[in-house]
Amino acid sequence: MVDLATAQRVCWSLSISLRALLLGLVLWRRNVRSIPFFSIYLSVNLLNAFVLAVSYRVLDPQSPVLFRIVWGWQVLVTCVRALAVAEICRLLLAGYRGIWSLARRVLLSCTVLVLVYAFLVSDHQWNSAILAGNRAVELSIAVVIVALLVFLRHYQVVAEPTLRNLAIGFFLFSCFEVLNYTILEHWLKPYAPFWNFLEVLSYLACLLIWTWALCKPLPQLATDPTLLPGSVYQQLSPEINLRLRQLNERLSDFWRGKGPRS
Amino acid sequence: MNFTLIFFVSVVVALLILLVWTLRKPEPRNGWKFEAGSLEQPRPRHATYLSLIRQALSPADIEFLAARGSPGLARRVRKERRRVALSYLNELRNDFQRLLRLAQVIASLSPEVGAAQEWERFRLSFRFSCRYQIVRAGLYSGLLVLPQLSSLSQVVSELAFRMETAMKELGERALLAAKLASSPDRSGVDIA
Repeated sequence: MVDLATAQRVCWSLSISLRALLLGLVLWRRNVRSIPFFSIYLSVNLLNAFVLAVSYRVLDPQSPVLFRIVWGWQVLVTCVRALAVAEICRLLLAGYRGIWSLARRVLLSCTVLVLVYAFLVSDHQWNSAILAGNRAVELSIAVVIVALLVFLRHYQVVAEPTLRNLAIGFFLFSCFEVLNYTILEHWLKPYAPFWNFLEVLSYLACLLIWTWALCKPLPQLATDPTLLPGSVYQQLSPEINLRLRQLNERLSDFWRGKGPRS
Repeated sequence: MNFTLIFFVSVVVALLILLVWTLRKPEPRNGWKFEAGSLEQPRPRHATYLSLIRQALSPADIEFLAARGSPGLARRVRKERRRVALSYLNELRNDFQRLLRLAQVIASLSPEVGAAQEWERFRLSFRFSCRYQIVRAGLYSGLLVLPQLSSLSQVVSELAFRMETAMKELGERALLAAKLASSPDRSGVDIA
């Protein structure tokens, strides 16, 4: 029977190889220009893996320096991941200038609200502050991606499959991280080794989704479509909303038992 | 188990459910397509068939059948008529969705959209969907019949008429929007 430490080492090595492969795939397909932040994220992540591997060999596992290196890199990687997610949001909606402008405001508001709220509901202890901060960022990433997908569905915009799969990869990993951080916060000591293993395993799954997505060439992105004159929206939108409001009033009436108004 | 744990687990579960919802395929639109030509030539809406549906839902016929024929026959007829009414309701919703779809195409192809307008439309369409489901449930259970359906039909047909009038006024521009949206190089918006 393979013990947890061995399984973790195997998964860790596998994930580093997959990160390198994915970065190679991005470079080979010349996608760096299309998805620069995602490429930076992959590079930083790969670098993070090497720094951690070296640090664990050189430093004492209980050393405070190691603690700072590990969590410092974690913060950096999470920030770059947030930028990569923002880039995917932009690429999925940038062609639609009007709804992208609206989506940007909504997504930013969601991010701020979730960050603040997730941090507020956490246990206010110094030793769990980093965990709470990371979890808040991960939760806001997950919320932003879902909000983006809701936007796409509402406006029936067909998402480019590669970008959509990249977003799903980010989403699943962030959700898992939120759960993992929450459990770690409660059972810090006994859960820590298993937490590491699960994190590596979930990231491996996420890498597989991205590799599968990026195996297909990324099409031309963010083309500038011809838009309607702004006056069309300004004229029609209030008219449509008025009718919809009337419709809902009528529906309310019939639930209250009134007859249709003339 | 404390509040933090329950809170975060619930949020993640809710997000996963939302993700699955956003990834499912759009509902088939029962054969209708957004045709550019329809902006210029309004078609008769399903509300036209209201008198037939009114007849189909009339309790008098069922009572007559129950009295003169067998109870089995009356039950079968009631079932068939309910199926017709449900199908009609579904078509009414298609009419409504088509109008809403026009608004979404216009919004997605506009250089600037109003947050308040969009939010209101989102809220109103959500409410309509909920009410539609309640009406449908009412029809299934036999609690809801004619007056309510008549009201719904009238509202939708009026909405359709006014929208088409407005669209006719801006026909050329909307036609351009439809062409842009359905052209192969502008594959982002799927309006079919």
